[in-house]
Amino acid sequence: MKISVTVNGSPRDLDVAPQRRLIDLLRYDLGLTGTKEGCSVGVCGACTVLLNGKMVSSCLALAGFADGGEVTTVEGLASDERLHPVQQAFIDYGGFQCGICTPGQVVAARALLDAVPSPTEEEIKEWMMGNLCRCTGYFKIIESIQRAAAR
Amino acid sequence: MIAFDYRSPESLAEALAALDEAGDEGKAIAGGTALVILMMQRLVRPGRLVSLRRVPGLDRIEPADGEVRIGALATHRDVETSPVIRERFPVLAETFRHVATLRIRNIATVGGSLAHADPNQDPPVTLMALGARVRIAGPGGERRLPLDEFFVEYYQTALRQNELVVGLELPFPAPGSGSAFIKFLPRTADDYATVAVTANLTLNPDGACREARIALGSVGPTTLRAREVEALLTGERLTEPLLTAAGEAARRAVDPIADQRGSAEYKREMTGVFVRRAIRSAWARARGAGA
Amino acid sequence: MDIPRVAGCIPGVEEIRPLDDSAYRGMLRVQVGPIRLALAGTITVEEQDRNAWRASMRAEASDRKAGGGVRARMTVALLPAEGGTELVVETDLSVLGKIGEFGQPIIRKKADTTMQEFAANLRAALGV
Repeated sequence: MKISVTVNGSPRDLDVAPQRRLIDLLRYDLGLTGTKEGCSVGVCGACTVLLNGKMVSSCLALAGFADGGEVTTVEGLASDERLHPVQQAFIDYGGFQCGICTPGQVVAARALLDAVPSPTEEEIKEWMMGNLCRCTGYFKIIESIQRAAAR
Repeated sequence: MIAFDYRSPESLAEALAALDEAGDEGKAIAGGTALVILMMQRLVRPGRLVSLRRVPGLDRIEPADGEVRIGALATHRDVETSPVIRERFPVLAETFRHVATLRIRNIATVGGSLAHADPNQDPPVTLMALGARVRIAGPGGERRLPLDEFFVEYYQTALRQNELVVGLELPFPAPGSGSAFIKFLPRTADDYATVAVTANLTLNPDGACREARIALGSVGPTTLRAREVEALLTGERLTEPLLTAAGEAARRAVDPIADQRGSAEYKREMTGVFVRRAIRSAWARARGAGA
Repeated sequence: MDIPRVAGCIPGVEEIRPLDDSAYRGMLRVQVGPIRLALAGTITVEEQDRNAWRASMRAEASDRKAGGGVRARMTVALLPAEGGTELVVETDLSVLGKIGEFGQPIIRKKADTTMQEFAANLRAALGV
């Protein structure tokens, strides 16, 4: 079926099978492999993207759900060769180690700061609760987000 | 996932027609967070999937005529953050806040959650305790059912194959009412409950219980009403012996399945504990909300 | 003991056909809400006591589309009891593959109710 999606600001027209998931459309049909598939059941958050401005699990969304809408992936956070403040903060403050959860973390963090520009630590924890990390123990992720908010 | 015929109708009538035509092979999808998992595992293999995402007008949350009407396509996040729900039904907003993660709540719908009929879900517990009615649309028109009568078995509702949940109606709480929702989950915060309880009590001005509604989640094939507990409380004042009896009656009301969230015996035991706590908490709130 | 007739007492069983003198092919349809499984497989008679009414069977069936299945060992026996005859059914069931991942507990519950219905149907068929 034919769908039209704006991905990271670029309008795209695609022909996809109805059972195609959004994550597969992004990774395989568009080559945007920044988004990762961790658990396939919407729990780990590695596949987090923004669909019409809201964060969703792309492993559970059908590609058809994005028809007529906008998707932002980790590749769409930077602009004009400058990293988004969240991305820069993760680098500056050690918000990642192996990096596999990081695309999901920064997309979720960007959505948080869009909605709540100066979140408390409690608000950060509650918002980011669904983005799991096996490496960092979360302290540096929280700190990176706090520092990004302060900028 | 096995291929299917995908429809994205732009009206309720079109959606109902697409479902009716597909018969046994038709399935509706809204947020898809539960259904896509089942389809990925090939446990559900519809020949036609009817997306409700473009059907207009079903996502509103509006007060009217002494009740709040929640459209079936309102998301969990919509209910969690709705000003009218936070003000008039704070326990319901809190219940929706406890579901999974924000990613799921952003897309999973109220109607989809009811139609999925997984007794481990949280919202139906509070909705049942608050006396919600389900609005159902089919080719022949609309009908209403109390939520108590909507869940039939594990993953089975009173919906016919060609019907859709289109909304929910919640009567505003009577004066002197208080409710409490407790979700007991010993593992991670984004999991389903080992047991979930919502107690909704209305007290007479003299402090005795006029009406009690107690709903339970995760401890039976459907969301349950603990009717024996309710009967025990009605007409009574709150005492320790009453609470003890209520806990025992609650244990008799459940039929839990053993799984990674606890053995059947553990869930039964915890039902007693948390029903007592929920009643105590709801009673205190009801006292504070005197007529 | 007529194995096809015994197996036919399991709710959802269809098309029992003999493969040889101790094995049969069959299909078991199971439904849990929107989940419909068509478990195709074999029943093999392992032991049969032709004097007493007693047999033990092994069954293996899978749903090709869902990628999972069940394996069960079952014993049925008629034993003399006070006031008549007692039907004893013992089942040992394993759930395999994707079906198992999704809901061992629900499938077990479903298996329990299926076996209870089976015992009731068999009692009625045997007139005990």
